[in-house]
Amino acid sequence: MTVSTRTAHSGFWQRWLARRLPAAREHTLTHKGIFILPTGFGVFWLLLVLLLFLFGTNYQNNLVIGLAMLMASIFNTCLIFGYRNLAGLTIKGHWPAQVYAGETLAMPIQLESSHASWQVGLNYPKNRIAEITRITDSAVEVLVPVRHTQRGRMNPGRVRISSCYPMGLCRAWSHLDMAMSPLVFAKPEKPDDKRSYMDFHGNDDVNGGNQLNGVDEFSGLRDYIRGESLKQVAWKQLAQGRGMLTKQFEQPQGEAIWLVLPGADTELEKRLSALSYLVEYFSRDQHLFGLELNGEQVAPGADESHRLACQEAIALYGENA
Amino acid sequence: MLPFSLPWKNKDRTPVDKSPQALIPRITSFWLLIINVAVLTPLYDELTPWTLAICAICFVWRIGIFLGKVAKPPRLLVSILAMASAATLLLITGQLGTLSALINLLILGYALKYIEMRQRRDVKTIILVGYFLVALAFIDNQSILNTLLLAVVTIINTGGLVSLYQGKTRPLDPLLGSASITLLSLPLAGLLFLVLPRFSPLWMVPDTDSATTGLSDSVRPGDISNLTRSAELAFRVTFQGPVPSNDRLYWRALVMDSYDGKEWRQNPRVKALQNNAPNIPNQRPRPMGGSYGYQVIAEPSGTHWLFSLDLGYSESRGVVNMSNSRLFALRRIEQQFGYDVTSYPNAIRDPMLSALERHTNLTLPPDINPRARAYGQQLREAFPDPAQRMQAVMERFAQEPFYYTLKPPRIGSNQVDDFLFDNRSGFCVHYASAMVVVARASGLPARMVNGYQGGEYNAAAGYMSVYQYMAHAWVEVWIPSEGWVTFDPTAMVAPERVLDGFDAVFKPEDSYLLDNPLSSLRLKNWPLLNELRMQLASLDYYWSVWVLGFNANKQRQLFRELLGQASTERIGLFMLGGIICVLMLIAWYTGLLSLPKRRDKLQRKYHKLLHALKRLGVNLNISDGPRTVAHKVSRFNPNWQESITSLANEFEQLEFNPALTDRQRKEMRKHCLQQIERLLILVTLQRTTPTLMGELPLKQGK
Repeated sequence: MTVSTRTAHSGFWQRWLARRLPAAREHTLTHKGIFILPTGFGVFWLLLVLLLFLFGTNYQNNLVIGLAMLMASIFNTCLIFGYRNLAGLTIKGHWPAQVYAGETLAMPIQLESSHASWQVGLNYPKNRIAEITRITDSAVEVLVPVRHTQRGRMNPGRVRISSCYPMGLCRAWSHLDMAMSPLVFAKPEKPDDKRSYMDFHGNDDVNGGNQLNGVDEFSGLRDYIRGESLKQVAWKQLAQGRGMLTKQFEQPQGEAIWLVLPGADTELEKRLSALSYLVEYFSRDQHLFGLELNGEQVAPGADESHRLACQEAIALYGENA
Repeated sequence: MLPFSLPWKNKDRTPVDKSPQALIPRITSFWLLIINVAVLTPLYDELTPWTLAICAICFVWRIGIFLGKVAKPPRLLVSILAMASAATLLLITGQLGTLSALINLLILGYALKYIEMRQRRDVKTIILVGYFLVALAFIDNQSILNTLLLAVVTIINTGGLVSLYQGKTRPLDPLLGSASITLLSLPLAGLLFLVLPRFSPLWMVPDTDSATTGLSDSVRPGDISNLTRSAELAFRVTFQGPVPSNDRLYWRALVMDSYDGKEWRQNPRVKALQNNAPNIPNQRPRPMGGSYGYQVIAEPSGTHWLFSLDLGYSESRGVVNMSNSRLFALRRIEQQFGYDVTSYPNAIRDPMLSALERHTNLTLPPDINPRARAYGQQLREAFPDPAQRMQAVMERFAQEPFYYTLKPPRIGSNQVDDFLFDNRSGFCVHYASAMVVVARASGLPARMVNGYQGGEYNAAAGYMSVYQYMAHAWVEVWIPSEGWVTFDPTAMVAPERVLDGFDAVFKPEDSYLLDNPLSSLRLKNWPLLNELRMQLASLDYYWSVWVLGFNANKQRQLFRELLGQASTERIGLFMLGGIICVLMLIAWYTGLLSLPKRRDKLQRKYHKLLHALKRLGVNLNISDGPRTVAHKVSRFNPNWQESITSLANEFEQLEFNPALTDRQRKEMRKHCLQQIERLLILVTLQRTTPTLMGELPLKQGK
């Protein structure tokens, strides 16, 4: 797994991290992967300890000095508690749900602790923190957001697991590479001119654009499955009290539409977005279609796996070249 | 556009810094109410009435916010209130004293910040200031009880922080969390307290003024109101050797050598010397001769006076050896102050007297006390020897009908005459005053000494307590070749006062307990309760010596006792060892020390076998169960089939068959281990000498 390097300094840091904490789908945190430093508040705390020590010295008051020592010692205790809070935490990465460019990707990360861990926050660089109040030995899953996704195989960077438990005096954290580079599909955008993205392999007249809209032939009703699009629900039948049913459409086989990437009249991302839109469009209609991207072909199909194959090809367009 | 969208898509625009974690959890709001009361209560004495009022308003407002009845006050209002308070405080700083004004200012800031807080950051500020206020509460009162109270306050204050980060929601959880963190931190804190170097004050700081003392720097025999009837502790003493008898315990504090007919006071020259003390720290040499040592812990008195017996000499830091055989503190004693003294009972005090001093100690106000002066003249003629002359005065007190009373009749302008010839009743000041006047009139330099007489010995803890009501006045007369000699005329009138202590003469209820209805000294009359009182006093004494009075000297002494010698390496090692012990304790508590459990022997061997097979080339996966392993191994080398299959069978039975008895289990384990060992040997042989293995007939073990 390569890690993006922004500057020379962070490059060194990342290389060091990559050696110390190699990428893996599952990590268990130990002393090797946990860093601890005082927070800003912790620094103020230590300054107050110093102030109280001076105060106690100037008034020759042993109890004030004792209070300062107690606070210094509490700081030390917090270091150990903070370390202990993260040590023994097992972090497992899962594949995220599909995401289109520009959307927020939610990385599902599963956490499990050999003891109780409190107030753990997870975030990817420059992204919001997802907080969990309590982690026990029964696994919990958090969705850690990654904003501003871009088309292609995405490297979200290292996920940061941090906690200021128990008193906010110091922050214990770790940077883990979950060894996952999810695919970000191109953002679907309706093109102005659909036809330039379609190649009918010489059968222009038979399967014209006007027929495209009507390709779906109603083929029957079946029971609604939770999660299906509401657009397909047979509302009339529902109103008649026949329960929730889904309308099924089919189109005649053999009339495959080929989606192609047209010439460079607009910028590439726009055209890929249009293709992505059309893939979604035809898939929803369960219309038979194939994809041809500069010589690379995805054979015609209409099911979900076909849709994913097409989207993957679009997403990776230009990356393997 | 799309039939699906992610649920958090809309939240994307929320800026990162305004995330919900910046808000104050409700449990923290609740906990802050408790913290506010806890932190401010010990400082109750310091609060001016209107500081108290503002604190109360803020507290009530905060309750309102907590219950959702009122909104947070606008920033402007809080700012105006803060500025008005600060201005008012500035105006009355003169009346309050600097330190008190500062404390009030801090408390006001604390109270106003308290209603104004919105974010977690504000809570942290409040809690840090809370710690400082706890420290301020230690300045005034360092008793054991107050320390315990403030320890609880500290734990409560820490609980506020814990509530921010722990995420538990039961009301008492923060307290439990904070208590366990604090208790775990105590050992290291104690260690740091012991080994961290101690410094003398780095710069001058404003003092509090809140102490009482049985002594004052002027004494008016005609005024009985300055007679102290306080049962409060004045100081405590630990003698290194045997404890002197009660009649030798004349604790000198002040020397009064100026008399104007109404009032005894310190000579202005001496006062000037005192003011200049920081610049001339040592005003007299260390005396010679037999000596005994003791340590004094003076209670806060708000004065510079220190106490010593006979001719005392001290080398403690902050103590000046004054020229008139006294000890003097460089700083006012606002907190318990411990110092070491060596006394030289046989040394001659001032063998020579300068003309100026002789003059001072012979001067009497003209035109008053004619009878006493005449009596002095008369004595001078009758007794040319100064010692005999003074003896005659002392005998007069013994023989004539003098009475010792704390409620003497009024005296007129000729104080000494009235006392000596008419009333013949009074307390120590009257007797001392009369004797000095007579001695001076007879031509002998004399002065009055104020201090304490006696002490209550606590045998269990081995120290002596001296109370304010033991304040006393006596006389020193300068006799050629003997120097200053102590005379106590009161001892002639009420010898038991000096031999057996104050209580032998007066019922406590009539004297020092008159103004102190709740003093624990009342318990003296009940033996059991008195025992308890002495025990508590011992505890308080140890507290004073080892906690409050722990200084660089004590530190060295401790190191010597613990380590044999106080060398840097030994102290370093001691610190290191201590810190490691403490860290281990905390680590153990948090569960860091539980080592990973060693895998069962059978499991280890089994995995070793799998590993060996894999190296041999058997295509094994981690996830393969015993049966799959047996199958694959049999295919790899059919010779091993029987061995590995029986092993797999037994292995599975051991893992999954709960019906096995312990004995069966034991046997099966043993057999399994044997099989594994044999297979391991076979595998090794196969790897090292493959040709040989192919020809060998397989031996099957039973």
